[in-house]
Amino acid sequence: MFAALYAPSLPVAALVDVARAFTPRFEQLGPIILLDASGLSRLFGSAQELGEHLRDALSKLSPGDSLPRVAIASTQTAATLLALGSPGLTVVMPGKEAIALAPLSISVLDHFEKLSDSAPQAPQAPQAPEHGGWHHPRSTHQASRGKRRAPENRVLEILTKWGIRSLGALTELSGPAIHERLGERGALWQSLARGVDSRPMVPWVDEIPFEAALELEWPIEGLEPLSFVLARLLEPLAERLERADRGAAVLYTSLRLTSRTVFTRTLQLPAPMRDPKTLRTLILLDLESHPPDAPIDIVRVYIEPTPAKVLQWTLLERAQPAVEQVSTLIARLSALMGEGHVGSPVLVDTWKPGAFEMSDFRSQIADQSVHRRSAIDHQSEICHLRSALRRFRFPVPARVVVNEGRPVRVQIDRQGFSSGAILEAAGPWRTSGNWWETPGPRMKSEQKTEAWDRDEWDVAMTDGTVYRLVVEREAGQWFLEGVID
Amino acid sequence: MAVRAAVEALLRERKLDRTLTSTLPERLGEDAVSPLDSAALDRGLAGGLPRGQVSEVVGPASSGRTSVAWAALAAATRRGESVALIDTFDRFDPPTAHACGMDLSKLLWVRGQAVSKTSVAIDPAWLPGVRAVNGPGTFIERVIDRAIKSLNLVVSSGVCTLVVIDLIDLPATALRRLPASTWFRVERAIEGSDTAVLILAAQPVARSSGGRSLVMGADQRVTWKGDHDRTRRVSGVRSRATVNAARWSHGQTVDTETTLVNAV
Repeated sequence: MFAALYAPSLPVAALVDVARAFTPRFEQLGPIILLDASGLSRLFGSAQELGEHLRDALSKLSPGDSLPRVAIASTQTAATLLALGSPGLTVVMPGKEAIALAPLSISVLDHFEKLSDSAPQAPQAPQAPEHGGWHHPRSTHQASRGKRRAPENRVLEILTKWGIRSLGALTELSGPAIHERLGERGALWQSLARGVDSRPMVPWVDEIPFEAALELEWPIEGLEPLSFVLARLLEPLAERLERADRGAAVLYTSLRLTSRTVFTRTLQLPAPMRDPKTLRTLILLDLESHPPDAPIDIVRVYIEPTPAKVLQWTLLERAQPAVEQVSTLIARLSALMGEGHVGSPVLVDTWKPGAFEMSDFRSQIADQSVHRRSAIDHQSEICHLRSALRRFRFPVPARVVVNEGRPVRVQIDRQGFSSGAILEAAGPWRTSGNWWETPGPRMKSEQKTEAWDRDEWDVAMTDGTVYRLVVEREAGQWFLEGVID
Repeated sequence: MAVRAAVEALLRERKLDRTLTSTLPERLGEDAVSPLDSAALDRGLAGGLPRGQVSEVVGPASSGRTSVAWAALAAATRRGESVALIDTFDRFDPPTAHACGMDLSKLLWVRGQAVSKTSVAIDPAWLPGVRAVNGPGTFIERVIDRAIKSLNLVVSSGVCTLVVIDLIDLPATALRRLPASTWFRVERAIEGSDTAVLILAAQPVARSSGGRSLVMGADQRVTWKGDHDRTRRVSGVRSRATVNAARWSHGQTVDTETTLVNAV
């Protein structure tokens, strides 16, 4: 049993308050509030009595104004259509939906379709904090429905041309014929005209912001006392997350300092998590790398929730580490080595030698089906491997003697590198790229060019070391780029 | 013999018998090692790098030591395992590693300081707030300290099943200054776990009682392809490795041949 409330003269928030007084299960469809009235008969009596209670509650809010519309039916579609099309209170007995809907104008279907297409909005959407760096919470499951642009009302136009003016007339048409001429949408309109639901009800769930703040009596300095404050804030938040089956996706820490400034840090978590100890450790490690410059007056933590991740584990493969474990490790390593120094390398689509980017390291669940072993020659007595290149991130300058266009001697001034005569050299392999990005007269100095134009040589020294040398063609400068090892 | 038996009995009584040679099998099971997917090398290593132990690969430049470490990382990533590389001086080249068969998405790369041995230049991307260094020795010690701390963090987390620490470009004097407890701590952290630690260095550093030492020979020979100057190129390097372990009376010798691959 469903009840639909519609009062054009009242704000939607007032309708929500009325609905909330009757049941926690309700859904907003534009200006209409749809209540799940199942089980309310024990509290409010029959469907007729429930409808009267609802009508009275709405009338108190808008005395003397136009009468609010209340419709009760066994399907949500019928209740909504009746609320749109019939004034006053309408109660339909189960099985009589099509009869009750028959006199309604065909245009209510167009109205209904627009309501269904529009995503429901939160009656009281939680507001993000006003401080800098705080954002509106990411939409939860309520926003997972995509917004679609309402299609042009071609079906209504055709039905009007056919002389179909009421829902009853539409239901009398042949279903296959409607489908043949108007497609899926036509068939859907016909089923709606009979009061058949096309989707289940999605009750609104109140989203109270996952936020906690603590104003300190005395300003605190250092991370150790802050750790206790964070524990006090995060533990209740983690409990709430667990009750709501949510995990933290983004963690905002806002510290109001004694210098009257607000210091905000944002942590994007690699996976939803809600362990308070892990969250506290991550915040502390981040603040260790980016400490505030004054004592702290107010600590505020805000969590952006997301549905918790469900993982299917297997007994047949090696256990994977927990997400919390990996996140803590990465945070600790980043605090130790610096940002951008920890992660997984990703190749980039370029011919530039040694080009790569850093990405977040994520420990993934192994998929046994894609594992492969390289072809192993079990009879071979020789170990065949692929050569590694030890690349110098800052190429080492070298002095090279060239004879007949080929390097014959290399001198490297730094310790630990072999210098002397070159036994044999292979090259040159000329590469160039991004030359079109060469800085012009109008290019700003901070716009760094990544153009390269160079010759590569692989040279073998007398002690067996194999170097990769490069010569920058424009400057004529030689560099030691790496060691083949 | 009687004295040995008495000592072993005392160790067993105090549950300190893990270090006894008689308690461990001569051949390790398939799950107890991390194979390199190279038949000859795996034979020499008695299956692969033992898990829960510290092993090492040492040798001179261009002897194939880094290739062996990358082969171990590549084989582990092909099995779907997460691996880590503590790259003390930021020498890792991702395109070449990818060409060597490494699944980079399963690699946790901890990049150290990109600096040559005697340079005091600091990478601008380095963590802000680093204390100014006055000399190369202090700076090198700082870099080593961070690498060792990273290694301890990674092995104690248990996230990765193979952890390689690259100490190749570390000066011998700095390496010798590292206290022995450094490696005991690492051994203790991985003892009984699935994690294998591999130290990559120019000279022997440390190895746990059940670990392997792979010493790459200094008599490597560069092989070439092509006859003409313009078409001639490096094909690879041939070398000979000796595998040692605490319980082996003689080292196993393995001939290795590395092939240069195009990273682009």
